[in-house]
Amino acid sequence: MFERLVRHIGGTSRSVSRWLIACMAIGFGALIVTGLSAAWLTARSQDHTGWINHTYEVELAISRANTLIEQAETSRRGYLISGQKIYLDIYRNASARLPAAFNRLAELTRDNPRQQASLHRLRALVDALQARRDHANGLIAAGRIDEARDAFAKDTDARQLPAIRSLTEAMAREEERLLSIRDAEQQASVRAFYATLTIAGLLLLFVAIASVATILRYTRDLAASRDTLRDFADSLEELVRERTADLSRANDEIQRFAYIVSHDLRSPLVNVMGFTAELEAATGTIADLIDRAEQNCPEVVTEDARIATREDLPEAIGFIRTSTQKMDRLINAILKLSREGRRVISPEPVDIAALVGTIDATLKHMIDAREARLVIDGALPAIVTDRLAIEQILSNLIENAVKYLQPGRPGLITVRGSRDGQRVTYEIEDNGRGIDPRDHQRVFDLFRRSGNQDQPGEGIGLAHVRALAYRLGGVIDVQSELGKGATFRLSLPVTLGDLQGN
Amino acid sequence: MNDHRSVSIVMIEDDEGHARLIEKNIRRAGILNEIKHFTDGTSALDFLFNHKDGPALNGPALILLDLNLPDMSGTDILAKIKGDGPLKRTPVVVLTTTDDKVEIQRCYDLGCNVYITKPVNYESFAQAIRQLGLFLSVIQVPDVEGEG
Repeated sequence: MFERLVRHIGGTSRSVSRWLIACMAIGFGALIVTGLSAAWLTARSQDHTGWINHTYEVELAISRANTLIEQAETSRRGYLISGQKIYLDIYRNASARLPAAFNRLAELTRDNPRQQASLHRLRALVDALQARRDHANGLIAAGRIDEARDAFAKDTDARQLPAIRSLTEAMAREEERLLSIRDAEQQASVRAFYATLTIAGLLLLFVAIASVATILRYTRDLAASRDTLRDFADSLEELVRERTADLSRANDEIQRFAYIVSHDLRSPLVNVMGFTAELEAATGTIADLIDRAEQNCPEVVTEDARIATREDLPEAIGFIRTSTQKMDRLINAILKLSREGRRVISPEPVDIAALVGTIDATLKHMIDAREARLVIDGALPAIVTDRLAIEQILSNLIENAVKYLQPGRPGLITVRGSRDGQRVTYEIEDNGRGIDPRDHQRVFDLFRRSGNQDQPGEGIGLAHVRALAYRLGGVIDVQSELGKGATFRLSLPVTLGDLQGN
Repeated sequence: MNDHRSVSIVMIEDDEGHARLIEKNIRRAGILNEIKHFTDGTSALDFLFNHKDGPALNGPALILLDLNLPDMSGTDILAKIKGDGPLKRTPVVVLTTTDDKVEIQRCYDLGCNVYITKPVNYESFAQAIRQLGLFLSVIQVPDVEGEG
């Protein structure tokens, strides 16, 4: 039952905390009720003790009155028998103290009409007795002892005294009865207190068990969900590892494919180029023959033969040659890219400013020839990356900037850099002829170029740059407008991880 | 070569064009030795080891080997030649388009004597083969073990 209740309640963390707060409230409530009932019981006990004292006082007062009555009776009888004055004194003394005792009793039993009534009767009886005693004592004092004795014998004393005694006893019993009622009340309140205590205790116990069970269950749920989460994280990591492995396998496949294709394409190309050369040599021989034939016996040489040997053949061979040469360059480019992709990169701290200086020196001839200037704007942030790759990237970008200047405008190439968190950005800005925004993506594709094709090139440089940037865990983009220069932005990680390489 | 007539050249090359260009340029270098050409590994190995005119049974030879063959890898042929057999001292010139570092190392490990990457540019190619021809004209080829 408990389990079910707890399970029912301990569903979510919010209901759990609500449930725990409720338990705590119930527990505190039970404690408060217990404290209040204890206070109530203490008050009741004090009250009760007061009443017990009162009862004892009343009983004491009754017994004192009784004692005085008895003392008066005894002394009076002594006086009657002996006639000695001392008994009379004792009698008078006792009688004189009796009203005070009665008053005290009356005061104590003021709230009890029955006791008041009894007291009233007692007073009447005692007063009557007193009157008769005083009369008898007067007779004795007058020396009429026999008369006094007769009066005593006739007197109803013997009957009156037991009546007085029974009355005082009744009063005492009345007080005892009241006491027993009060005792019973006290017992009842003690029982009530114990009952409250028991109920509160049970409630506390229940609340404690419920809270502990809820917390245990909640903790177990938490642990279970933590385990699930960890499993999930593990499987996620596994998934990422698998995907990464898939990706790198696919990448390797592409690299291998590019390598094999370009490599195998070379083989037929060797033949094409080789036999073209043979053909050229043979054409030379035939051209010589035609020349000699033209000199010696011109009638054999037809116009067609002359054109074929002197124009058609060299032209065809020339086209084959340039095409195969271009194809050779393209294949070499692919080969170079794929080889670059297979190269193991080794991160090391690279001083970019020094690197730009080296590139400046290397391209000095070209830069000077085009009246351009290469400047570094501000400090360049430090980086840990592959030296060769970053050098090729920057060298390509700077060379491009020098190559594609706007005619009639002195070239200015600016290199600057900034660091943002774990990435650094290098910018190579030029004031050259710019790139049509439509071609911003295209220029990074292999064999694709943009703008006037007035500069030598195969459309490989930027493709190479982008491949290298990816390889270094970075990205590259360009911002440019036609005629307004271009800014290439290279974003790289500050520190290239060692695991980046193949 | 020791005796210009007796040392035959065995060329294992799947590309007929390449084979023709190689032969042409070797001839241009003045090498007149017989050149036996095979376009696949199986028949080449059969000739090398079993044919009565083959080098294993009949005299010294020099082998020009391409690595990219249709039926088996050139390195396997190289391993067979340089293995513990009658042809283990026969010079092998690997002449191929591959310029992969690992492949080159592997060939030398297997006992290849010279490794040449075919230049794509024909002028370079022709020059390389002619130089190889000149080289062939001066190297000494050991006699084949056993038969002599």
